[in-house]
Amino acid sequence: MGPDMTAPPAVGCFGLSKTFGGGMEAVRPFDLVFDAGKTTALVGPSGCGKSTILRLIAGLEDPSAGRVEIAGAPPSETLKSAGLSIAFQDPSLLPWRTVRGNIELALRLARQPVDRSAVDQLVALVGLDGFADTRPAELSGGMRQRAAIARALATGPQLLLLDEPFGAVDELTRHQLTQDLPRIWEARGTTALLVTHSVSEAVMLSDRIVVLSPRPAEVVDDISVHLPRPREPGVARLPDFAALADRVSEALARGMAAGRPSLAAQ
Amino acid sequence: MTTLAASLSPRQGGMPSSAVALVGILALVGLWELAARALSGAYVLAAPSEVAVYLVENRALMGRNLAITLGNAAVGFAIGNLAAILLAMVALIWPRSERVITSLALLVFCLPLVATGPILRVFFGPGAGPQIALAALAVYYTTLIPLLVGLRAAPAAWFDLVRSYGRGEAATLVHVRTMASLPYLFAGLQIAAPAAFLGAMVGEFTGAEAGMGVLTIRAMRALDVEMTWALATIATAVAIVAYSAIGLLARRILLDAPPVILTASAGGAAGRAGGGVSGVVVAIAIALAVWWTGLVLFDLNAFFAKRPGDVLDALLFAPDADATRATLAAALAETSVFLLPGYLAGIVAGAALAILFTLLPTVASVAMPAALALRSVPIVTTAPLVVLVLGRGATGTIVLVAIMVFFPTLVACLHGLRQAPGQILDVFDSYGAGAVSRLLQVRIPAMLPAFFAAARMGVPASVLAVTVVEWLATGNGIGSLMAMSASLSDYDMLWSAVVIVSVLSALGYAAVGHVERRVLKIYAPEQLA
Repeated sequence: MGPDMTAPPAVGCFGLSKTFGGGMEAVRPFDLVFDAGKTTALVGPSGCGKSTILRLIAGLEDPSAGRVEIAGAPPSETLKSAGLSIAFQDPSLLPWRTVRGNIELALRLARQPVDRSAVDQLVALVGLDGFADTRPAELSGGMRQRAAIARALATGPQLLLLDEPFGAVDELTRHQLTQDLPRIWEARGTTALLVTHSVSEAVMLSDRIVVLSPRPAEVVDDISVHLPRPREPGVARLPDFAALADRVSEALARGMAAGRPSLAAQ
Repeated sequence: MTTLAASLSPRQGGMPSSAVALVGILALVGLWELAARALSGAYVLAAPSEVAVYLVENRALMGRNLAITLGNAAVGFAIGNLAAILLAMVALIWPRSERVITSLALLVFCLPLVATGPILRVFFGPGAGPQIALAALAVYYTTLIPLLVGLRAAPAAWFDLVRSYGRGEAATLVHVRTMASLPYLFAGLQIAAPAAFLGAMVGEFTGAEAGMGVLTIRAMRALDVEMTWALATIATAVAIVAYSAIGLLARRILLDAPPVILTASAGGAAGRAGGGVSGVVVAIAIALAVWWTGLVLFDLNAFFAKRPGDVLDALLFAPDADATRATLAAALAETSVFLLPGYLAGIVAGAALAILFTLLPTVASVAMPAALALRSVPIVTTAPLVVLVLGRGATGTIVLVAIMVFFPTLVACLHGLRQAPGQILDVFDSYGAGAVSRLLQVRIPAMLPAFFAAARMGVPASVLAVTVVEWLATGNGIGSLMAMSASLSDYDMLWSAVVIVSVLSALGYAAVGHVERRVLKIYAPEQLA
């Protein structure tokens, strides 16, 4: 029996580590359990291995040691049932397909029926009205990223993996997206993992923030975010928000300092 | 990313540049008319007006023979490209076979077509068999190599995307690889179309009953200047039309022109296969096995169907082996006197002109489309012209070889020079660096991968050119030796010559690949990844 893919899964990493060929240690063994139906942000400096963790969880990369469990089963089971989606750091849209074509491809790959009006709704939701039949080459970087997010949401995944999904999105749009998009996956009760290096994005979107040190990644801090949901724009002005953001920033700085013993010693 | 992949982005062609190309070609025709008028009486140059009159007067003859050659070329084009696509699929499904497939493909690509023709003639008897076979042989390599690159050219994230929905290699092939490889396939087909016409014509040189090649031989023997020029004009026009038609088709399907393709970079499939000496050794071993089993299976007459042992015997152990070796060595020495200077002049002139164009961008914008169009012309089909104009001596042959490698090198280098990263050039600008230092520090290093790809492909091309012109016209060197052996039914000599020329050509290709890797290791390490 495979995992129950109708309910959002909890994700567990047990002794998980990854060393690439040539001995580059990307992820040092760690244990973490991500709760079902919650949004967790992995925050860390660039190149700390957080994307690798996401790829390990998605089953796109084999761990050097340890294991990943999604709803108690290996990631390959989730892959087989098309129960997860990834929004990659690079939008990775197929250039010969339109925005709609790219979204529909995800549905087809996941062996789901293509519902044209649902695709249209999704396109509108990410603010790409009127661009459904446009090819990626004619879109800006931020628009492509939004199309990629729409593609990731299209299949209604139980597990959603977001790798710096708003990196190329301009500040205003990012603000809008961080308001709108979480509602979709919150309403569905999706388990979401978000990789980012933006402190405010992490606080805004997640229920929990795991702060990682520079490579090889180690957990510096694990912070619960008890801000009201749905997060209204005013949330960012709450004292709690600022306190959380400070705590994340401090943890990041601690991680950085630990990563440079010579500086810390001075 | 390889040079190929990088070449996907800039748009080539399109209406404005084809208009510019037209202007360039019209200017060439004008110059040609003037030159012909000036040289009237010398019996070397027929003016475009005379060619036009000849073509109108002899339209029935020309039309009939053109149709025959086109038909053979089309069948060979289809067979050769299907074989290339099948081989690419095999290499994709079974990656360990790729090295062998590409090495073997290279060795077969290095067969001297003129000498293969008479051997095929004996196999097939009269009819279109050899023409079709040579057309197929002329196209499959230039399709196979880009296709192999294209099937792998997609960014890793696209494959991850398919995998993230739990789908496997089959879905990847359907949704990613096929579409991602189309630009590469079209770029290969674009080069293949004129090459198929060339292959069919070379097949006709070696004893067909009708076709453009037969008329070419007839015109040369009769010193019919107008007919020679008319035939070369038709061959050129066919090449340009075929090249443009596939470009047009590609633009309809891909919504973009196919990339200005070179061949795979040294890091790509061709580099891995053709580059290493070990690859050539493996390929030679397999070629010998295929050769031997083929002849045994078809149980062909041992008088003309020589086996590897026969050739080895003729070269090493037979009583007249010394004489055979001496004859071959003398012929090869004679050929190398034309081949090496021609080859070197061609690649150096191509690269130098490309660099000059970069310093004079206005000239380049006019010359690039014309060069693209002329690159498609199978220069060998105009060999009779070169002989007519420059004579049967060394100059004619050297110039022909040089032209054969010149155009592809020019186009490749112009393209490579454009690949210079804009931001690095901006850095140079911000220090007020001059054009020369930008050229030396940024543009020429950026050009090197394209230059070497062209230099590698230039080896078999120049061997083809020199053997054809020697076969047809000059009576010198290995080409002439092969022609004489064919007409004297000296099949030991003919097979020996074919084997030696193929192996030397493949080794030359490998040697350029070796230099390429050493240079690129310094200037373009990303190409070797």
